[in-house]
Amino acid sequence: MMINFILNGQKVVSTAKANERLLDILRTEFACTGVKCGCKEGECGACSVIIDGKLVNSCMVAMGYVESCTVMTIEGYRKTERFAVLDTSYASVSAVQCGFCTPGMVLASECILAKNPNPTEAEIREGISGNLCRCTGYNAIVQAISIAAKEGKGLW
Amino acid sequence: MVNGYQATSLKEALKILAKESVTPYSGGTDLMIDPEEHATFLFLARISEMKNIIEDTEYLRIGAACTFTEIIENELVPEILKEAAAQIAAPAIRNLATIGGNICNGSAKGDSALILFATDAKLRLVSSRGERVLPIAEFYLGRKKTALKSDELLVEILIDRINLSNYYYKKVGARDALAISRVSFAAILNVADGKIVNCMTAFGAVSDIIIRRPDIDAMLVGKTTKEAKVVKKEYIAAYDQAIIPIKGRISAEYRKAVCMNLLRDFLESNGI
Amino acid sequence: MENISGSIKKKDHEAKINGSALYVDDHLMDGMLYGRMLHSAKAKARITKIILPELPEGYLIVDKNDVTGVNRVAIIIHDTPVYAEDTVEYVGEPILMVVGPDDQVVETILHKIVVVYEEKIPVLDMLTSDTVFFDYNYTKGDMDKALAEADRVFIETFQTGYQEQAYLETQGLIAYPQDGRMTVRGSMQCPYYVHSAVANAIGCEGKDVQIIQDVTGGGFGGKEAFPSILACQVAVAAKKANKPVKVIFDRREDMEFTSKRHPSLSTYKVAIKNGEITGMDIDVLFNSGAYTTLSAVVLQRGLICANGVYRIDNLRVGGRAVKTNTVPCGAYRGFGAPQTFFAVEMIMDHIAKEMGLDSLELKEKYMVKQGDSTSTSGKYHFHVPLPEMIQRIDELTDYRAKRKQYQQQIGRYRKGIGLSMFFHGCGFTGSGERDIIKAVAKIRKNPDNTVEILASNADIGQGLKTTFCKIVADTLGISYDRVYIDNPDTDRVPDSGPTVASRSLMTVGGLLQRAAEKLKKEWQEGKEQVIEEHFVEPDFVIPFNLKDFSGDAYPTYSWSVNAIEVEVDTLTATTKILGAWGIFDVGVPIDMNIVMGQMEGGFLQGIGYASMEQMDYNAKGIIRNNSFSDYIIPTAVDVPNLVAEIMNNPYTHGPYGAKGAGELPLVGAAPAYVEAMENALGANLNKVPFTPEDVMKILQGVNT
Ligand SMILES: Cc1cc2nc3c(=O)[nH]c(=O)nc-3n(C[C@H](O)[C@H](O)[C@H](O)COP(=O)(O)OP(=O)(O)OC[C@H]3O[C@@H](n4cnc5c(N)ncnc54)[C@H](O)[C@@H]3O)c2cc1C
Ligand code: FES
Ligand code: FES
Repeated sequence: MMINFILNGQKVVSTAKANERLLDILRTEFACTGVKCGCKEGECGACSVIIDGKLVNSCMVAMGYVESCTVMTIEGYRKTERFAVLDTSYASVSAVQCGFCTPGMVLASECILAKNPNPTEAEIREGISGNLCRCTGYNAIVQAISIAAKEGKGLW
Repeated sequence: MVNGYQATSLKEALKILAKESVTPYSGGTDLMIDPEEHATFLFLARISEMKNIIEDTEYLRIGAACTFTEIIENELVPEILKEAAAQIAAPAIRNLATIGGNICNGSAKGDSALILFATDAKLRLVSSRGERVLPIAEFYLGRKKTALKSDELLVEILIDRINLSNYYYKKVGARDALAISRVSFAAILNVADGKIVNCMTAFGAVSDIIIRRPDIDAMLVGKTTKEAKVVKKEYIAAYDQAIIPIKGRISAEYRKAVCMNLLRDFLESNGI
Repeated sequence: MENISGSIKKKDHEAKINGSALYVDDHLMDGMLYGRMLHSAKAKARITKIILPELPEGYLIVDKNDVTGVNRVAIIIHDTPVYAEDTVEYVGEPILMVVGPDDQVVETILHKIVVVYEEKIPVLDMLTSDTVFFDYNYTKGDMDKALAEADRVFIETFQTGYQEQAYLETQGLIAYPQDGRMTVRGSMQCPYYVHSAVANAIGCEGKDVQIIQDVTGGGFGGKEAFPSILACQVAVAAKKANKPVKVIFDRREDMEFTSKRHPSLSTYKVAIKNGEITGMDIDVLFNSGAYTTLSAVVLQRGLICANGVYRIDNLRVGGRAVKTNTVPCGAYRGFGAPQTFFAVEMIMDHIAKEMGLDSLELKEKYMVKQGDSTSTSGKYHFHVPLPEMIQRIDELTDYRAKRKQYQQQIGRYRKGIGLSMFFHGCGFTGSGERDIIKAVAKIRKNPDNTVEILASNADIGQGLKTTFCKIVADTLGISYDRVYIDNPDTDRVPDSGPTVASRSLMTVGGLLQRAAEKLKKEWQEGKEQVIEEHFVEPDFVIPFNLKDFSGDAYPTYSWSVNAIEVEVDTLTATTKILGAWGIFDVGVPIDMNIVMGQMEGGFLQGIGYASMEQMDYNAKGIIRNNSFSDYIIPTAVDVPNLVAEIMNNPYTHGPYGAKGAGELPLVGAAPAYVEAMENALGANLNKVPFTPEDVMKILQGVNT
């Protein structure tokens, strides 16, 4: 028996076992290497993906859980208009350093804005609080998200 | 699917559970830390009977498979539980992690479990043989040990519809997000006609099981604030005896001191 | 703001934000095998036997017997074995590697291996160590006289703990043999360090080794020397298997078994006469762990900073880096300086209190200025901007008033504010740059008039690709888009030295600027031209002599003043950081965003070091804080009010006036934080991290 789900807008079928990690399967079977592995314990957020509109740590998800779900990774998200806004805002404040946290951070940014198009700084910080970044000290990322909220009016 | 079943109704899930050797999988945030290689999971997330939050005349009923995000966003949920749920981990974990998993993992560090202890919640456990309702304190048997039978599922959590608005809650973690409790404390105190009608306290993360001592809290019940002040010393001394933190990464002395400080502050904040 | 400081889209931005950047674990190769290390479970033991399970076809074990060159990793001293020989010296020491096509099977095999140890008693506590790896002493003035004539002598010991780099991408490399050569690629800061280590371990000439840096997910010093060790192990495995071998550490392995900041104990004896500080007699002890790795140079820097930013005429500084049966410590942003800056800032504070002064008042009195002599009798050749930084901090935070106001507090919540002042010596310590590294950098102009930068420095997130390209483009007067740089590949780039010591931009950036100036003069449309530049020490430098620690240890210094304001909850002993402010002088910022990113990120790491990042070993020498749930680093909500400001103080000998930036922001956070805690708690404190448990002890002492 296979596991069916929608990955980045496409119907896919996986031969993975139900107890395997979504993170591993996305990286190996579907070549979504933008999904990063920083801990496999739910503690860093580098593996963040969006399942049915919600941010989750893909290392904490067993494949069986995603049956019939919609999964979005950075590989799908980067084709959207919203991504383009975040791309520009992150670039404008150089919020990307080593980049290892970045794909997860961008998806967390999307979920913050999808829930609340005009977030306060505190809400932004709370929204990325599960995404560790050791490089930036977070200020630039927080700024990037609030710039995106302004520049992307109407998109979220 | 191989190594897994996705049930869509409670009946179906219970049938599988009775027949096969499977591990119930709710949000997976405990199970996936170190998943057993050969585990077969029974996925609960699509069982609608376990996803409801409803009120009846007696109880607020919370489906065991409700995620913390769903709990925070629900209007019926009392503030004390919302506040605790909102301090669990971070958004992405709260989107997966469920209240049922927080109880069934049997940990004394469970932040929602603490609130359920403090509110004397009951658990509705169902198997294909039938069902039973157990007070939460009876569900916990020891470190990571619960009364859950292998063919049972926790389906609902039942919270008495008493007034929970006058509460005290404090979680002490290592940082402001993504932190497991080092100590946690929750309490409710209601006064009617000048007398304390109920006082319910619970201490988390200090012992193998969350500490809930209605016998000690009873010292204050039926008393006016003034009368409560008289027994305050005795009350605190009783907790001083009752709280024996187990050894851990964080010293027992520290955790004990915080428990006692919070208990005193709870009393003081209620004029006791 | 200078023109060059205007920010620009980073060269590496696009690939990283859209997820297409390939880090080492993202690479797959035909026939690639996966390796996992068997680490020692004992802190000190003789290995009497290793019982291996039967191996399925295609799986192999790699150990010391497979090392075709020297079974030692070439770091500074060649003492770290590639694979353990008969003994193991710390929990985690690599004994062998299991290699095979399926990662899971490799793991299963690993769990079946039984190592029989004959256990010995390990030395864990650095105070009981009987092996001194490095012992340095230097003096200035006459310390004995100062002590003899003193009317008071303050003595106090300060303690600092481990700090784990906690880069988000764990250590990982791939090695593959090809046409009789060995290639190693992956996550690293210093390709040429890896290059010489691999050649030495597999026993071949340098020309037969190629090292390629892949996009690297953070380093902070943790990928300075450690990749040399891992590279030797992986290269030996690849050679034996004659196939590509990939090793990616998991988080627990990385946290427990890779290098981290040296724990320290520093004892200060300060002589006072007639209310004046007349001398400091300083003894510093660093826990090296089981092997020497970079301890010598880390200790040197720590000792040179031991008197802080203060003019102390009589000085005696001694320090030892000692062996213990614990994980070898190594480089971490700041490189020995955070330890001694913590100690000196705190002792100044404690002395001030004794004298009835505020610590800032005392510090200001002894602060160095341009022209003063350094601890090693070199010279502060350039302007020291500390006074204006203090003034700015005071404007931003109202430091002086708050400091007084917070002295006497009662109630549940108590506030405190603390201040630190410090420098970071830019570049290698002493004559390393001139005598050892001898950096070479090149630029090549292609026939299409694009320009490629050829240097061995790695962009590990700090923005080097962008700043290098900006310097070259601006100097040439061509557009930024026409200048590019790839990740270093030792087959293509000269050895411009490692990516360490806040040197890359100042030193190598300087070479590139010169090369670009030359190219501009010689520019010929449509032709290929290559310009090569070699390091030349600036002529103002007073040559440094390591024997007696004399001369200019650094050509110049980056400066900073930090203030941190806290609020302690006396019921839970937890602390909220109300604000953290840093004023930083790193010369002219080559890119304001990039510099701000360095300052904010480094400052937050420093605050983590001071407050929450705790790591220790147990009685068996096992580090138990080995995951992100047990080793806590700051999240986005922990220090929401972190403010960094740049003070422009051009360095005449740096490219466009730039000097070292990478390490500075981490160096002074700890003393500022602990001073703030003292202010809140009304007690003298002497350790980092200063945790809630420590706070509770103070509160209980105070309350009862
Ligand atoms: C990064 C991270 C941070 C965390 N932070 C916190 C925190 O701050 N506070 C906190 O309390 N917890 C925290 N946790 C722990 C965890 O998220 C919670 O305990 C969560 O509530 C578990 O729920 P789950 O649905 O994910 O459990 P699962 O992993 O699905 O299940 C846990 C256990 O319960 C059993 N089970 C689950 N549901 C049922 C059911 N209905 N009937 C019978 N058995 C069942 C499972 O078989 C399993 O043994 C954290 C975890 C991670 C990874
Ligand atoms: S890899 Fe999933 S949270 Fe770290
Ligand atoms: S940019 Fe390196 S971890 Fe965030």
